[in-house]
Amino acid sequence: MHEQTTTGRPPAGEAAVQTTALVKTYRSRSGTVEAVRGVDLRVEAGEVFGFLGPNGAGKSTTVRMLTTLLSITSGSARVAGVDVAADPDAARRTMGVALQEAGLDPRQTGRELLVLQGRLFGLSPARARDRAAELLALVELDDAADRRIKGYSGGMKRRLDLASALVHEPQVLFLDEPTTGLDPGSRLTVWEEVRRINGRGTTVFLTTQYLEEADQLCDRLAIIDGGRIVREGTPASLKAELRARTGSSADPTLDEVFLDATGRTRGRVAGDVQEVST
Amino acid sequence: MTHAVALGQRALREATRTPEALLPTLFIPLFFLVVNVGQAGKIFPSETTPFLEGQGYAAFQLPASLLLAASFGTAALFLVEDIEGGYFDKLRAAPISRTAIVLGRLLAEAVKGVLIAAVLVLVALPFGIEIASGPIGFVLLVVLTALWAVVYAGFMQLIALKTRSAAATNSGGLVFFPLLFLTPNFVPRELLTRPMEIAATLNPVTYVMESLRALILEDLSWSGVAPGFLVVAVALVAMIALNVRLIRSYD
Repeated sequence: MHEQTTTGRPPAGEAAVQTTALVKTYRSRSGTVEAVRGVDLRVEAGEVFGFLGPNGAGKSTTVRMLTTLLSITSGSARVAGVDVAADPDAARRTMGVALQEAGLDPRQTGRELLVLQGRLFGLSPARARDRAAELLALVELDDAADRRIKGYSGGMKRRLDLASALVHEPQVLFLDEPTTGLDPGSRLTVWEEVRRINGRGTTVFLTTQYLEEADQLCDRLAIIDGGRIVREGTPASLKAELRARTGSSADPTLDEVFLDATGRTRGRVAGDVQEVST
Repeated sequence: MTHAVALGQRALREATRTPEALLPTLFIPLFFLVVNVGQAGKIFPSETTPFLEGQGYAAFQLPASLLLAASFGTAALFLVEDIEGGYFDKLRAAPISRTAIVLGRLLAEAVKGVLIAAVLVLVALPFGIEIASGPIGFVLLVVLTALWAVVYAGFMQLIALKTRSAAATNSGGLVFFPLLFLTPNFVPRELLTRPMEIAATLNPVTYVMESLRALILEDLSWSGVAPGFLVVAVALVAMIALNVRLIRSYD
């Protein structure tokens, strides 16, 4: 866990994120699909929590339920002590959300986007302008602030998306695959931003398919497969458990933990352990 | 309402930054006005055609062009872009009422509708069209057209929210065109064939068109404008209610 401040904490005794028997089912033409099948999670305030899983495992569905974007079929979810289904607006005020596709409006400038985001979170026009300027400086986009977003590179868009998720100083930041599609340099920049944000006291809930990313950033992580949590712990504890169970002489990597947890083999992963598919 | 206004301002910026999407809403209605008047103008000389109330055929045709201008629905295509690009989810993740998200774009459509209607009427005036109902009538003409634009945008937004597809939204919008032509757009209702008259009478767009026409051709009268405003008011309430219902259950 990184250096903490006392700001942005949920009420005493409350987890930053807590789910109980969280379920999401969809009805499709071919029948009922159980995307999430009873997920129990507890993320403590100040953690960087990694949520891993292969494509279609239920990562994004879980995040979308936690962020009020998707209805919950059964079970409950609380963010910063607020029940997301019972009081979605209160829950939205506690969280920042940066989803898989950087949700930006290409026709606005970076500054306009952040000012609007601030207004939507209740800031006065003047405060929204000031906050936009602070965030643009934070993510080092001052020079591009008044250019339209459609001209931004992928890395710039990700940084702006991160900034827009921080406009109201959320207690919990949800990042859904924040580095997918980025070049290695941009990926490192996003990692630095995540560490800096966490260092200011914000809990980070991060989904990723990149196991190195999880290893680098996360204090604790959970692996979901087929809609169920199949492993949970610190990266070190998960590796130690696998080593003890297999009697391996060397420390396993997080890749090996992942493959073991999801019942996959390297052969099935077509040469890229970071882009595991079902 | 603050949030709806902020989102409306954003939608207006979006419109001004894509003039290529805005210009056809002016050009195509003017094109149809010129073509329709060119084709049928000689059949209906003002001196011997009582329903023209002493004006040229262009005055009779102007309402059809105004309704066409108000029925492009590009705002819904921008909404589909928001949905596909993820920005719509960003808005849904903000602590604002779902109604504000719906109203933001509709407010922008109202402003755009006022501007487009005003420009169209002002462009038409030098071609011998007079607004017989006077300055108040001009304002009502512009407002009624703009309100129709909001109704139509609401209808298109419904398709966009339901299908989340630009192609489906575009195709769905074509549903309106039969309604635009099942109206007394070339001659008054009483001169239509019986089947067309029945169809036009059942078509709510007819009453909007007739109210617009009354404002152009006749002195200002409540009986002339009330049916159009009534139809638009009912349709507006229905569209907003349906949009809000859909966005609240949007997963």
